[in-house]
Amino acid sequence: MAHEHDAIRTGAAPHWKPEDVIGKMTLKELFFSHDYRHIALKGILTSMVMLGIGGMFAILFRTELMVPDVQMMGARVYMTLMTLHGMFMVFGFLIPLAISLCYYMAPKVLGLDKLYWSGYAQASYWTLIAAVVLLIIGRPDFTWTAYAPMSLRVGDELIWMGYVAIMLVAISEFLAGLVLLRNGLAGAAKTGWSKLPMMGWGCLSVGILLVVSTIPLGFIGFGLLSDWAQWGETAYFDPARGGSVLTFLYIFWTYGHPAVYLPFIPVIAVLYTLMPRILGRPMWSYWSGVAAFGLLTVFALPIGPHHFQPAFTIAGPYQRVIQILTMLVFIPSVLHVFNWIATLWFGKIPASAKRSIPFKFMIASIAFLIYGGATAYLNGQISIDSDFIHNSYWIPAHFHAMFLGFVGQMAIAGIYYLYPYFTGRMYNQKWANMHFWMWQIGIFTKVTLMFYAGYAYFPRWVFDYLPIPEWVFAQMGITLGAYLIGAGFLVFMFNFAWSAKRGTIAADEPWPVEFDEPVASATPAE
Amino acid sequence: MENALGLSGGQTTMMAITIAITILGLSGLAAAIFLPKRWQIKYSLEFVFIAGLFAMAWYGDWNSTNVYTAYQDKMVGEEGVSGKEVTEDDEFFDRTLTVVAFQWGFAFITDDNEISRNAAVVKPGERVLFKILSNDVIHGFNIPVAGITAEIDPDEMRKIWIKAPDVPGKYLIQCVNYCGVGHAQMKAWLVVEGPEDDDEDEEETAMNMEGTNNGA
Repeated sequence: MAHEHDAIRTGAAPHWKPEDVIGKMTLKELFFSHDYRHIALKGILTSMVMLGIGGMFAILFRTELMVPDVQMMGARVYMTLMTLHGMFMVFGFLIPLAISLCYYMAPKVLGLDKLYWSGYAQASYWTLIAAVVLLIIGRPDFTWTAYAPMSLRVGDELIWMGYVAIMLVAISEFLAGLVLLRNGLAGAAKTGWSKLPMMGWGCLSVGILLVVSTIPLGFIGFGLLSDWAQWGETAYFDPARGGSVLTFLYIFWTYGHPAVYLPFIPVIAVLYTLMPRILGRPMWSYWSGVAAFGLLTVFALPIGPHHFQPAFTIAGPYQRVIQILTMLVFIPSVLHVFNWIATLWFGKIPASAKRSIPFKFMIASIAFLIYGGATAYLNGQISIDSDFIHNSYWIPAHFHAMFLGFVGQMAIAGIYYLYPYFTGRMYNQKWANMHFWMWQIGIFTKVTLMFYAGYAYFPRWVFDYLPIPEWVFAQMGITLGAYLIGAGFLVFMFNFAWSAKRGTIAADEPWPVEFDEPVASATPAE
Repeated sequence: MENALGLSGGQTTMMAITIAITILGLSGLAAAIFLPKRWQIKYSLEFVFIAGLFAMAWYGDWNSTNVYTAYQDKMVGEEGVSGKEVTEDDEFFDRTLTVVAFQWGFAFITDDNEISRNAAVVKPGERVLFKILSNDVIHGFNIPVAGITAEIDPDEMRKIWIKAPDVPGKYLIQCVNYCGVGHAQMKAWLVVEGPEDDDEDEEETAMNMEGTNNGA
């Protein structure tokens, strides 16, 4: 069914040569080089550090949550760790990693051989580092959503650093959006719109969302800073002085909802890049994928209010429109998943794919996308949302399935895939398998028990809770799942470092497509 | 249970649909990888799928709107999802409590201006209307036993109603929106009094409740 020329658009043609890019990179190049691989690697390595730090915060507060009562930390410390966990994971790990993978892949896949506007990419990186430094010094405890006016009345005199960090994150993501948009357009100019690889469509789609949605985020940071109780220059968001909470909510979620697609779209583009190469055949449908990118970009912006509905200004027909659009937004995601499953199904799965770790992570991530995505049907319905979903553990369960189960794992698949290209060596298969299974068991346990806890009305953002049997059981299980994920991360990091020096030298084509027996055989393998 | 938003028929159906979709997706994925038989899916099947999604969205919206409208229509002056203003129905509610959510706790004020901190005292099976206000930050108001959650924005009154449980006892009321360091302690109790309970018992309950709140 797939057309012959899909091989160009989604196929295997351009590829990198395995090379020890990391080993040859000087410190000066790491910091200031505008070579696309150096910029991308800097982003990838930094996001691994962020994952480590953000994960460590999670392990710490999860330990506190394991049993009821206060063991090792009070509310202030807990909420600081929780806030930094959310910010490090979303702003430091997921979004930069997904964008960095695009920086690495787009120049080759789109045939550009350089990253256009790499200076902006450089500026975007260092702006983010500045934001991280401010977050570590300022230690905000207002959660990553920074709901005003609560966020104006917490913390100490350093809390302004949190507001400035939000502005810097907005600037950093805006610049990254410009870079991706520019490279997507350059790719389209080179190949023509009807032959633009999926990576190009992904860059365009997320580029638009980044550029449009970070402007409201920048204003949120600015508004909080100038509203801040110790300055009180303005009163945009503080109702005590004539501001409006709903203004905050509308502006914030105009960024906040598209924000969940900011890492989501790039890793989908990575998936479209990896799958045909690993399977050795084009995607089932090119235009279905393109349409899905387009629909997601359009649908992402107006549905933010589903995060705080129902409210006084979201009632009547408007509320219904939001409800319907929210339920329709899973059409683009289903188009993607349908495309992937159809691609897997229309030909034999090569034995080489079944062995390869990127493929395993890819399949597992699709499974988590289905698992977490299906629950969105419930989340979108106001009557059910007003029962056990709104701000119970159901919501973190939903977004951990999507963010960690799908986005995180797909990004990790991208790293495993690129590993021989930037170290010149292969990862250790045994440890990679160990990492894979630890994560699947850990993430599934954690996500499932979070759904269970949410269904039992466990509230979000609490460091202490009543000893209700369902709650105690769920929290204990979630914490054990988190430990397993943490241990898997350590295995991954060890493998990453060890194999870079001692792994087997990668072949010229690290990902050959091999079948155990001739494809035409009457008795298929397995 | 008569609570309009509680886990009743409609919600169970939605849960079943969600679980069915998950199983369908996961088995499709597993079949595509492990089944020996290969299958060239026709493009038209994707359109059938999309039609199915539209039907799901239509059904979800229809059901949610019906449930929510039936719930909201009981309350005065609230613009329902249906868009129509609903009229007063004094007979419907047995008790009205004004609730002030604050950092960090709930105050329940009866029609007779009696204020009770962190305890809403009601009779079994009563229909109770809560008029909830916040004058500091965004709070949440969740009564698990009644299956209802609301987000309370400052300076705007939210109304919700419940049918109190038939069994006397203490039921949890909690804040579910992060509202500052005291958020985890922001709890109250829905105290359902037995028919023979007198004031003495009420005091005792209040003391227990206070112990629970500060004990952590």
